[in-house]
Amino acid sequence: MPADPGSGAPSTGAEAVNPITLRVIGGSLSSIAREMAEVLYRMAYSNIIRESEDLGAGIFDIDGRELCESESTPMHIGSIPGYIRGVNRRLAGTYQPGDVILHNHPYHGASHSPDYCVLMPVFAEAEHIGFSACTGHVLDIGGAYPGVSLDVVDVWAEGKLFDGMKLYAGGVRNDDLFQHMLDNVRTPGPNAGDVEAMIASCRLGVRRYEALVRKYGLATVRDAITHWMNYSERRLRQQIEALPDGTYRAPSGFLDDDGKRVGVPLPIELAVTVSGSDVTVDLTGSAEQVESAFNVPFEGSVIPTVNFAIRTLFLDEDTTAQYVPQNEGIFRPIHAVAPLGSIFNPRFPASCFMRFPQINRIPDLVNLALAELLPDKVVAGCSAAIHSVVYSGLLEGGEEYWVYIEVGEGSYGGRPGKDGMDSVDCLMANTRNNPIEEIELRHPLVCERYELRDDPPAAGQWRGGIGSVRRWRLLEPTFMATEGDQRSDPPKGLFGGHDGLPGSLRRWHGGAECEPQPSKVTNVRWAAGDVVELTLPSGGGYGPPRARAPEAVLADVRDDLYTVAQARDLFGVAIDPQTMRVDAAATSALRGEEG
Amino acid sequence: MKRVAVDVGGTFTDVMYWDDESGVIHIVKVSSTPRDQGVGVMDGLRQACAAVGVGSEELEMFVHGTTAATNAVLEHRGATVGLITTEGFRDILHIGRKKRPLNFSSQQDLPWQTQPLVRRRHRIPVRERIRADGSVEVPLDEDAVRAAVRRLRAEEVDAIAVCFLFSVLNDAHERRAVEIVAEEWPGMFVSASYAVAPRYREYERFSTTALNAFVGPEVGGYIERLGRMLGAAGVGDHFHLMTSAGGMATDRSAAREPVTLLMSGVVAGLRAGCEIGRASGYPSVITLDVGGTSADVGVAPAGEVRLKHLLDTRIGGYAAMIPMADVETIGAGGGSIAQIDEGGMFRVGPESAGALPGPVAYGRGGRRPTATDAMVTLGWIRPASFSAGGIALDREAARATIESELAGPLGESVEFAAMGVFEILSQAMVEAIGVQSIRKGYHPAEFALVPLGGAGGLFAWRIAQELEIPTVVVPRHPGVSAAMGLLTCDLQYELAKTVWFAAAGGDPGQLGAAYAELERAARAQLQEDGLDADRVRLVRTADCRYEGQGYELRVSVPDGAIDAAWIATARERFEAAHERTYTHRFADARVQLVNIGVTAIGELQSYRAAPITSGAADPAAALLTTASLFLPRQVGREPVAVEAPVYDRDRLLAGNEIAGPALVEQADATTIVGFGQCALVDAYGHLVIAVAPTAEASKGG
Repeated sequence: MPADPGSGAPSTGAEAVNPITLRVIGGSLSSIAREMAEVLYRMAYSNIIRESEDLGAGIFDIDGRELCESESTPMHIGSIPGYIRGVNRRLAGTYQPGDVILHNHPYHGASHSPDYCVLMPVFAEAEHIGFSACTGHVLDIGGAYPGVSLDVVDVWAEGKLFDGMKLYAGGVRNDDLFQHMLDNVRTPGPNAGDVEAMIASCRLGVRRYEALVRKYGLATVRDAITHWMNYSERRLRQQIEALPDGTYRAPSGFLDDDGKRVGVPLPIELAVTVSGSDVTVDLTGSAEQVESAFNVPFEGSVIPTVNFAIRTLFLDEDTTAQYVPQNEGIFRPIHAVAPLGSIFNPRFPASCFMRFPQINRIPDLVNLALAELLPDKVVAGCSAAIHSVVYSGLLEGGEEYWVYIEVGEGSYGGRPGKDGMDSVDCLMANTRNNPIEEIELRHPLVCERYELRDDPPAAGQWRGGIGSVRRWRLLEPTFMATEGDQRSDPPKGLFGGHDGLPGSLRRWHGGAECEPQPSKVTNVRWAAGDVVELTLPSGGGYGPPRARAPEAVLADVRDDLYTVAQARDLFGVAIDPQTMRVDAAATSALRGEEG
Repeated sequence: MKRVAVDVGGTFTDVMYWDDESGVIHIVKVSSTPRDQGVGVMDGLRQACAAVGVGSEELEMFVHGTTAATNAVLEHRGATVGLITTEGFRDILHIGRKKRPLNFSSQQDLPWQTQPLVRRRHRIPVRERIRADGSVEVPLDEDAVRAAVRRLRAEEVDAIAVCFLFSVLNDAHERRAVEIVAEEWPGMFVSASYAVAPRYREYERFSTTALNAFVGPEVGGYIERLGRMLGAAGVGDHFHLMTSAGGMATDRSAAREPVTLLMSGVVAGLRAGCEIGRASGYPSVITLDVGGTSADVGVAPAGEVRLKHLLDTRIGGYAAMIPMADVETIGAGGGSIAQIDEGGMFRVGPESAGALPGPVAYGRGGRRPTATDAMVTLGWIRPASFSAGGIALDREAARATIESELAGPLGESVEFAAMGVFEILSQAMVEAIGVQSIRKGYHPAEFALVPLGGAGGLFAWRIAQELEIPTVVVPRHPGVSAAMGLLTCDLQYELAKTVWFAAAGGDPGQLGAAYAELERAARAQLQEDGLDADRVRLVRTADCRYEGQGYELRVSVPDGAIDAAWIATARERFEAAHERTYTHRFADARVQLVNIGVTAIGELQSYRAAPITSGAADPAAALLTTASLFLPRQVGREPVAVEAPVYDRDRLLAGNEIAGPALVEQADATTIVGFGQCALVDAYGHLVIAVAPTAEASKGG
């Protein structure tokens, strides 16, 4: 790949641009991306975009290299370049000002088919210089089942595909295509609003980027962009280089199953190879592709995830002094490998609608692979799946569905010097929850519980984070679908910390005993009055529990996370239940005689 | 009427005395006293009174801006709070919106978990449940509430928050729980969510209520102590405090809902800017208040202070769903540190040298170059005139640091590097103003820029050029604009309610009743504050969205009966706002009024700028000296050495005209008039700078 982000037009000499203009252009680009994202989620209709902010937005060059992208959710960050390559393969050479293109083909760059991408070409004095683009997860794409498809035969059954379709050509709206798009989904109202919001977001990006280029000139902007990419690349390479060359293998992991052959585990193997300032994440040895929709688009999902995993580990935003912008430069030292025909790189036309539980294991396993090498930077095993529950049903009148997609949070493993984060979106996921009051005002659901789960968190010098439990009562018959995993292979403890806890999904029907559910539920309709409870994994502990400060154990006991007995048994800390104080002498005795 | 305004900042407490009958204005700056702000307040008050020869007992009004509540939150020095909440929902405050602030980080902290407003041991669930239609599904378990209060009493909490689901649609359970708290523990500070933040969205409402309890005892204590000191000085027992919405509240209501004081510090400047703009004939203003570590940007179209979206209102890591003026604070100030980072990038801020060690030029131990050092190096801040805190400016030290830390590594001249620091910082301010104006559908060219604070006038000339703002209006006393702003405010309260009203098909009678109820409560509040009916104004608002969206836009809506015409007007105002904000309106979508509000305004006969003595166009009488300084002839060009006149602000007369480049100095502020710019001293002593459009000149590096 050439280093110049332009169209192959000659650069005016990379890095020639004055350091101040460079900062100014960098600042403008990041604010363009931020503003684009804000328009999208403020204006959007589907809960998954507006509340969860499951979206991405940014400016790209004509080959899809990323100049800037919004900081919405990591899964979307870095996925748009793949979409653009997919669109270019069909439409390169046909772009005109005012084009608006819709794309969601998972074998041509899409992250997965419900993540629509809307993009608009950007021009400077009649030259096509790039794209303004955004992605967002729409509620339904007209597949076999509402919201989520799992038990489907192929990619055509999972939903309606748009492979570089022009919603507007040269500024002229194709009303038939819009109508066709909406006639073939269960949620035409919200989808219409979401696509309009995506168009508004792209338009803003086009205007702002064009103004930037007008002001500074294309050559200066290109030079500044090249400089910023080189900067981000340099910062990342500096970190990778510091490690000894070699291949570091993660402990073998397992996915529960593919949702079709329930209970048949799927292996995941991951190795990290450091070579100079380059790093390769190799998924060879992981399961073959499966017959359900539980496969992962390689370009649209594996590559962004590997980029995320490496960037987060080496340039953690919290511990890195200066902000390193996310752009093409970050991607250059990072490489991903997965054999064609495997679950991480399926052959067309296998369905790959459901891919999050697989890909979220990648950053988790990268951490575990490099733990011995980087004990001060890694985190113990996290809630590294995703647990989404999709509730849906026909609206009154029977012409449209309501769909509520709930992305269940997880928790982080313990960390060097800190406990794991409790009840928060993990790794590649970073969405917001929907207010209970919002859901109950809109949908036939009543929340009975939303709290930290009751089980004690994974013990460690730094304990694992705590997953949550959420229980809904259905007021009407409801279609149910879930996307989940990590029931059989819980988050791993590190350096003597205990393993975390798996999640669960349970249903109560007609006052009967609770029915445990598999991690992936598809194509079922549950009854009014049923109660559904989702419990999310707790992260692994970091370091030996007996090294935990007794006062920290006491605080957890006072906060009802552990009992006095658990404090003694897990941590060797004696607490007087009358005074609720640590008994120092008894504690050293416990720790001395047993540790 | 003789009045005094006192604004407490991090370093200084600013006092402004104003007598609207005699026209006397006097300004005093004293050191702030962070341990008890009241000590500095009384010190300043006494000095101001002594200077104008007025006894403190002659004062008829005392208005106050305090950071007491904000500091309690930011420094996490609040009360130990107990929470009584709905069974099954003990951890709403702990889970929050479950989104991590940083994407690319496993090592970050979640402030709402690591520094909780209420610890888990003090969050006690009780049986009760109200449904989304306001009906009671589970009655309140009063015994459980009693037991919870006893337990919290045993735990010796300082304040109690009561937060139940859907209390905004039916407040009966929260009201009853508050009564029980009062019975079980008389005199306890208690906050209920239906009263503190009456809008749906449980996490934000609970967080706001917990914040209120968190700062309640401390702020209540402060207000009471200050009231006693003022009483002893004969000022009278009662006074007014600035709220974050940009209005005043009485001491009584501020003590009850101290959460409304959070972030009030930045609003007074915007209020001052509005009055300055109004007097000088520029009703639409953008204010830029540049301090040592941060800059505050406010935008007021037609002099109206806009409020932030209630889902954007935060303090520290906590959601605070209270009305806040839309002022954006960025980490860019005189103390912002400049560096060439390990990747070779030129960076300025957000890290700041603060007051200590401060800029290198202050000679207090600062070793890293700051924006102030850059401006000292360029000759804009002169050792001869710099008087803050008795510091002798060391220009050579500043220059040497810029050279070794920046110019050397860049391979550029010292002036180039110094100008670069200024440009990068200016750009951050330009972006912030852009987000607050262009992004919200307002073109900066239709505004005047009002720089505030000691350093605002050093940046305004440049920022106005960049944003094509045609006019800069520099206040007569930019250094104490917040105190002045306090004097411009009216009493203001906002009452709100979640109504979930469909514009098509909703019951207008019900909506009308809801507004009427808020209006009754608003009038009662102002009556309690002692305002006559003829000084009371009520303004209705509605938070609207297209049905199915998740974010509301606030619009003002008409008075009068709710009928088809009223609903049509509300709908049109919302759609116009939606189009301005997002460039789009949906053709056939249904509109929903989610929350309604009534803002009650009680006029306090506030400050109006007064004319100063006039003179001829020639400002020669005010000429202090000429100084050599570096300034670019055109935007984006290298600075060149020029000899520029320096004027004494205090000797300028109305009608004086100053051609740039020039410096205008006063005790606590410096203003630059750039190349090609011309400043006119207007009737009120405001410096009105005409900024030539330079869109083309800004091209290129």
